[in-house]
Amino acid sequence: MRWIRFAVFILIATVLQASLVDVIAVTTLNIKPDLLLIALVFFAIYSSTTEAVLTSFVTGFASDIISTSPMGAQIISYVIFGTLLAYLHRLVAIRKMPYQAAAIFVIGMCVLLSSYFLNSLRGQETITNIYKTAFGTSLYSCVIGPFFFLPCAWWMRLKTYRFSRH
Amino acid sequence: MARKRIKVSRRMLFTWCILAGLILFFSPQTWTNTLQFAFARAFRWPLSVGRNISLAGRTRQYPQNAKTLRDVQYQNYIANLEEQLRQKQEKIELLQGLRDRLYALEGAGLMVADVIKCSIDASRGELIINRGENEGLAIGQYVLGDNSIIGVISGISARQARVKLITDSTFKTDTGINIPRLKVEGMMRGNGNNTAAINLVKHQAKVGDGVFINKKPGFLDAPMIIGRVIKCQKNPDTPLLWDIVVAPACEIETLNVVAVIIMNPEK
Repeated sequence: MRWIRFAVFILIATVLQASLVDVIAVTTLNIKPDLLLIALVFFAIYSSTTEAVLTSFVTGFASDIISTSPMGAQIISYVIFGTLLAYLHRLVAIRKMPYQAAAIFVIGMCVLLSSYFLNSLRGQETITNIYKTAFGTSLYSCVIGPFFFLPCAWWMRLKTYRFSRH
Repeated sequence: MARKRIKVSRRMLFTWCILAGLILFFSPQTWTNTLQFAFARAFRWPLSVGRNISLAGRTRQYPQNAKTLRDVQYQNYIANLEEQLRQKQEKIELLQGLRDRLYALEGAGLMVADVIKCSIDASRGELIINRGENEGLAIGQYVLGDNSIIGVISGISARQARVKLITDSTFKTDTGINIPRLKVEGMMRGNGNNTAAINLVKHQAKVGDGVFINKKPGFLDAPMIIGRVIKCQKNPDTPLLWDIVVAPACEIETLNVVAVIIMNPEK
């Protein structure tokens, strides 16, 4: 893993997520794709399990930094589900775009809902539309996510046709 | 000398990461807010550039009878004055001889602030502004945008503050709101989808009716417009009562500058 490239990549994704992604928001609910979620799935699939744990932590931290809710919940959710996906990838190779999209959708739902429930455990106020938001965000991310994988792989100098199962 | 490579097992790494997450999770929110504010401060320039680009791609939608932003501001200003005048007349009728402040912002300081970050999505509505405790801001103070109340200060650091918008799904008015035309009062809470709701109201409101937030000693001296009715429907459980959907009195997403009301500021 090229960690400096990874740091730059996450930084750009975080700033874009916090600002420019609003341009492509849809519906009155302002549903937008989650670039950091796509990054989580990308690194869980294309890096070793150890690296996947670390990248999940960093993407979770970045997601927490730009979120409006208290920190911590997203780090925990990202690490748990990023690691799970990395282990799952050792058993079932997620090579084709539809599988990658499905992985983004499922991980998106799990991450968004679990971080919401963690926040509610902490005594945060109830958020309305959470299921619609989670579903919409996961769906939007899974539609555009796989198309980002190739440029991401190019930037990270990863070979997408090789699937290491460490 | 060859550098010794430290080997950490996956399980241990996973435990450390979860532990770090738990530490942040259970840390006081004021500490973790510092990190979030630090990010907004450090990346203020790219964030504002990105925001300007996203605003440029968005077409403004004005409420009824308004063609320009100036119209919206004037309409809100006139609505505020009319409501204050109405209340004034009521007071004069009831309490002759008692003098009171004529204007909501008399004796109040207005701290103008730039919007650094605007997060409005299906569940949340929040702004980060570039003024903080150093400028006299405090939690609970009302924030104005285009002459209407758009939210309250919900978090603060020395130089920045977080504004919870009236449409945030966790927003609830701690003082009442009223619709003068109907003479009804109630509580309003955010819906998340850029609207707010007033539930179980006895009278039917019309689309376009102004909704005003009541005065709150120490924070607001007179009612001010907070939104306009966009929908009124019968409550599904209690058909005799009405549920009112309220939209903000201005387009919050396009605001670049807001003003915080600081009552009786130190001179």
